[in-house]
Amino acid sequence: MKLLVPLKQVPDSTMRIKVAPDGKSIVTEGITWSISPYDEYAVEMALEQKDADPSTTVSVVTVGPVRAKDALRAALAMGCDDGTFVTSDENAAPLVVARALAKFVEQKQPDLVLCGRQASDDDQGFVGPALATILGWPHVATVTKFAPADGGIEIWREVEGGHEVWKASGPALVTVQKSDKEPRYASLPGIMKAKKKELPELALSSLGVDAAAPKIEVVKMETPPQRGGGKILKAADGDAASVAAELVRLLRDEAKVL
Amino acid sequence: MKVWVIAESKLMAQKASELRRVSLELVAKATAFGDTELVDVRGPERYVAAPAVDALAKKAEADKPDLVLVGSTPSGRDLAASLAARLGWAYAGDCVDVRPGEGSVEVARTMYAGKVRATMRLSLPAVVAVRPNAFPLPKTPPTDFQAQTVAAEMVPQKLQFVRFEPTKEAKAGVPLAEARVIVSGGRGLRGPENWKLVEELAAALGAALGASRAVTDAGWRPNEEQVGQTGKTVAPDLYIAVGISGAIQHLAGMTQSKTIVAINKDPDADIFKVADYGVVADAFAFVPALTAEVKKAKAAA
Ligand SMILES: Cc1cc2nc3c(=O)[nH]c(=O)nc-3n(C[C@H](O)[C@H](O)[C@H](O)COP(=O)(O)OP(=O)(O)OC[C@H]3O[C@@H](n4cnc5c(N)ncnc54)[C@H](O)[C@@H]3O)c2cc1C
Ligand SMILES: Nc1ncnc2c1ncn2[C@@H]1O[C@H](COP(=O)(O)O)[C@@H](O)[C@H]1O
Repeated sequence: MKLLVPLKQVPDSTMRIKVAPDGKSIVTEGITWSISPYDEYAVEMALEQKDADPSTTVSVVTVGPVRAKDALRAALAMGCDDGTFVTSDENAAPLVVARALAKFVEQKQPDLVLCGRQASDDDQGFVGPALATILGWPHVATVTKFAPADGGIEIWREVEGGHEVWKASGPALVTVQKSDKEPRYASLPGIMKAKKKELPELALSSLGVDAAAPKIEVVKMETPPQRGGGKILKAADGDAASVAAELVRLLRDEAKVL
Repeated sequence: MKVWVIAESKLMAQKASELRRVSLELVAKATAFGDTELVDVRGPERYVAAPAVDALAKKAEADKPDLVLVGSTPSGRDLAASLAARLGWAYAGDCVDVRPGEGSVEVARTMYAGKVRATMRLSLPAVVAVRPNAFPLPKTPPTDFQAQTVAAEMVPQKLQFVRFEPTKEAKAGVPLAEARVIVSGGRGLRGPENWKLVEELAAALGAALGASRAVTDAGWRPNEEQVGQTGKTVAPDLYIAVGISGAIQHLAGMTQSKTIVAINKDPDADIFKVADYGVVADAFAFVPALTAEVKKAKAAA
């Protein structure tokens, strides 16, 4: 089976994010970049399939600025077979990214494309569904598992109260939700191997995609107001009931949420 | 301005006829700034993008709404993104405010896993997914709107529904993302066998259950209950965190809550930095006392 994971490099989840003086972007100095968390789950899900069936190939692709190459290397170090780097400036429109990925998918012809549910920079969750729509492929959202089945692929979609199992009979796309399988760490041999692999580079402009896209601009970015300065109640042994009563009173009369 | 609100009921399959609260919230909001039409997609029992998108795109091209609003539930968001891509319209997901302007619409939403608040301006026409609970529901339901249905047809050969596998621990109740009150448990609860502690508190409050990732990773609770960067983003009226330390990735998913209560035995736990009411206490002693007081208060009311 041929699997493809389009992944995005974003600020590591441990980073505090500061708004830049222009009020429209973030301070990138000092940021550690990582594969977006849901994309890591997607890579893991693909590699599980490769573990089960070694004839499986797992490819990764990213559209991004030069630094994003590191995300591809990190995915190769986890065990992916090949990575393709599509160079673009920082702010390629999401629809243009999806079109570029669609060109790449058409060349590569994978059986299944695994996108993240959303990238944790723009938090949009657009590129996966958009890519499927452009390809005219069926897609399933918030997926936690897949498995080859008779004449197709079975896909587990997380919904309220359980999972729906769907079956795709041809190529399909999934957007990946967090699953039970924690993304694996890169192994040392994996890292060595990844270093030696070539990363073919393509310029976004060379793919011949339509660059027209609806206008979506950031007008303003702000750090959410600091919370805190809350009331602290201490319930030492024995007075749990009175502190609980006080808390209920505060929630009812002061916060008005009961 | 012509506004469509996509009715979320059929989309969510399980309760076929009941309209989700978020759809009413959006209709109420939309009628304040435009000619509103509630659009219901009738078709496959279970949501899958393609048939709904095909039907809606055709209708949208004919009717030309300026703005399509969709509830930012998992299915709604997927539909909204797919529809925007199909139509080539502007898109924003998971918004908490929508302010129409001349030829454009401004939306408020979070970015960077909830760590930044952003205002974005989209050219019209646009598709915008709005988070449940973003707008209050008026006392009297809105009546000043039109309704229409659109028929969707399943394309059977490409993708087929096979079966439903219920989660063992799952209980019927308020979906986490739409809950007004959430009680979340962390590793401080020591094991799944202690969950009745938070379950009883949640039952007394009519709350949904949440969990930290430490808990879902350990398999104590299902993934769908996880709150945070790789779980659900929630903004209820009241969020009660029990035995949760307050890691940055957890905070990313819940600091938009209106009121936050933290119960933790460590006075230096980071969760207290975002709490409106912090209780430094052993959860095993305090939570049952709180449950009892909540029941008392509810009985008196
Ligand atoms: C990429 C990435 C994504 C992540 N996404 C998420 C996410 O979506 N959601 C999430 O939650 N985490 C996420 N995490 C994990 C996060 O970093 C923390 O590890 C996790 O939130 C910790 O869970 P916890 O607070 O339950 O456990 P701990 O950090 O172990 O905290 C347990 C708390 O319980 C308290 N406690 C212990 N005993 C008692 C008692 N008897 N009474 C009261 N209090 C007690 C302790 O003082 C402590 O503060 C993510 C991490 C990464 C790297
Ligand atoms: N620049 C990109 N290059 C490759 N894949 C991307 C890119 N942007 C988004 N994706 C994929 O689309 C998913 C959703 O991204 P987003 O729409 O930005 O939230 C991500 O998790 C990736 O799988």
